[in-house]
Amino acid sequence: MNSIDKALKEKKIGLYYGTRVILPFVADILKAVIDDEIITDFSPVSDGAYYEKFDDFTEIYFFDHEDILKDVSKYETIKLIVVDEEDDMFDFENHRRISLNPIEKHTLEISELNDDVIFIE
Amino acid sequence: MKKTFLYSIFVLLTQLPTNLLAASGEVHTLPDTFMVIPFVILLLMIATGPLFYHHFWEHHYPKVAIFLGLITITYYLAVLHDTHSLLHTLAEYLSFIALLASLFVASGGILIKVDKKSTPMLNVIILFIGAVIANIIGTTGASMLLIRPFIKINRKRIKAYQVIFFIFLVSNIGGALTPIGDPPLFLGFLRGIEFFWFIGHIWYIWLPTIILLLAIFYVIDSRNMPEDSDEYSGKIEFKGLKNIGYLIIVLISVFLDPAVMSWVPSLSPLPFGIREIIMFSVVYFAYKGADEEILKANEFDFEPIKEVAFLFIGIFATMIPALQLIAYEAQVLGEQLNQGIFYWATGILSGFLDNAPTYLNFLSAAMGKFGFDINNANEVHQLSIDYPIYLSAISVAAVFFGAMTYIGNGPNFMVKSICERSGIKMPSFFAYLIKFAIPILIPIFIIVWLVFFNGG
Repeated sequence: MNSIDKALKEKKIGLYYGTRVILPFVADILKAVIDDEIITDFSPVSDGAYYEKFDDFTEIYFFDHEDILKDVSKYETIKLIVVDEEDDMFDFENHRRISLNPIEKHTLEISELNDDVIFIE
Repeated sequence: MKKTFLYSIFVLLTQLPTNLLAASGEVHTLPDTFMVIPFVILLLMIATGPLFYHHFWEHHYPKVAIFLGLITITYYLAVLHDTHSLLHTLAEYLSFIALLASLFVASGGILIKVDKKSTPMLNVIILFIGAVIANIIGTTGASMLLIRPFIKINRKRIKAYQVIFFIFLVSNIGGALTPIGDPPLFLGFLRGIEFFWFIGHIWYIWLPTIILLLAIFYVIDSRNMPEDSDEYSGKIEFKGLKNIGYLIIVLISVFLDPAVMSWVPSLSPLPFGIREIIMFSVVYFAYKGADEEILKANEFDFEPIKEVAFLFIGIFATMIPALQLIAYEAQVLGEQLNQGIFYWATGILSGFLDNAPTYLNFLSAAMGKFGFDINNANEVHQLSIDYPIYLSAISVAAVFFGAMTYIGNGPNFMVKSICERSGIKMPSFFAYLIKFAIPILIPIFIIVWLVFFNGG
């Protein structure tokens, strides 16, 4: 199974096609900020976003963002609070602050957010 | 007394006039009262859009603002044949957005890192410093400079109320002591009020108001202290200091107005001047020359200023009829108005309209009440000497009440937008008004009225 650490260490990229984002690790997503939209409801009836875990990847649908490259500007990123599937999500130590930076050709640069960037869980 | 007071406010806000002597002294045909409808629709949509039809609003607010603005513009062109009001408003809008954009971009290239433990007292100190600095670099400059470090310091216990007190103190009330602090006072300065008049006549209202708000904040903030065992170095670090230079250029350029310095060339009939050209140049050079690492750390994005720019195109255009109707009423009723009515009328309208023209209209009414002409700088100066209480009431109300809503002052919206991009859930337009502004600010504003403006 692909973990967050492994994806970061190997500098794996994510993908985006329209509203769909594919991450090269398997994780639960607790919070997302895209543009000025704060999303914490990932239930199937949510109109903000929905995510699903597969064997080797996780996919998210940001329903309101058909062109992520357009919605996320040059110095902005999509910010996520994620927890590896195998970790205990009730332990805050396991919560990871991840940024997704859309670059060309449907690819997303994935990195851990540094302390300079403000992202409140 | 109370009945007369309420009646005067009511009449001021609702009576239907037929002609207008505008604050500028030029005679215009008054717009039909129905022409305030686009403005009311825009206000309602700003209030309800993010709540009830978020997706539509998110994608279409620029079109909505421009469409509603065009209704008013078309009416003025086709029905009233009044291009003067439109050009005047365009000039005010360009000034407004040039100042906001230049301060926004210049401060976006500055990174302040503070590695200190968040405590209620530290927050009180930051908010107080912010309120003071607002008088030196404007409420917009102070807000943009301090909001990110304020969030970072409080990142482990940040709540919406902390940001809202920031909006109250730094983005609005703080800036009541100098003409640089808030645009309405600058308009007063341009009309002939001495630069230091404001600090001399408002500090004793400003200081207790600030202390009272800080005391309330301290009590609330003391209840929000989760355990924090982290160690802090106490270091404060500044990056992007060259952008301080750009901020200084913007502040100096504020005075580059032919009305202040006669040697400054006027570009009339163009709806902008040297000042706006300098400010827009700062936008370009501050952005192009900024350190990429700082822009990334600040997650710099033009969206907050774009949002303000579009919404305020609509607000500036659609509020022309509302302001002209108010100006007329203020002139007609000037004789009956005492300082308390000036205070409340200026304040209530400044919470929902742009406070700069509202200020000018009530200043004009106060001038008329005492037989002065607002277009004569010596007479404006004379009013500030002979009847300072009226000028205080209008100045205090225009600045203080800007904190009542997100649209009361330019930086309010920008602070909200920056916070949301940082993951902080901010209250809706109504929740801000009902849960915070009315219960916290209105009692304080009543005290200010009772203590300082309840006579005459």
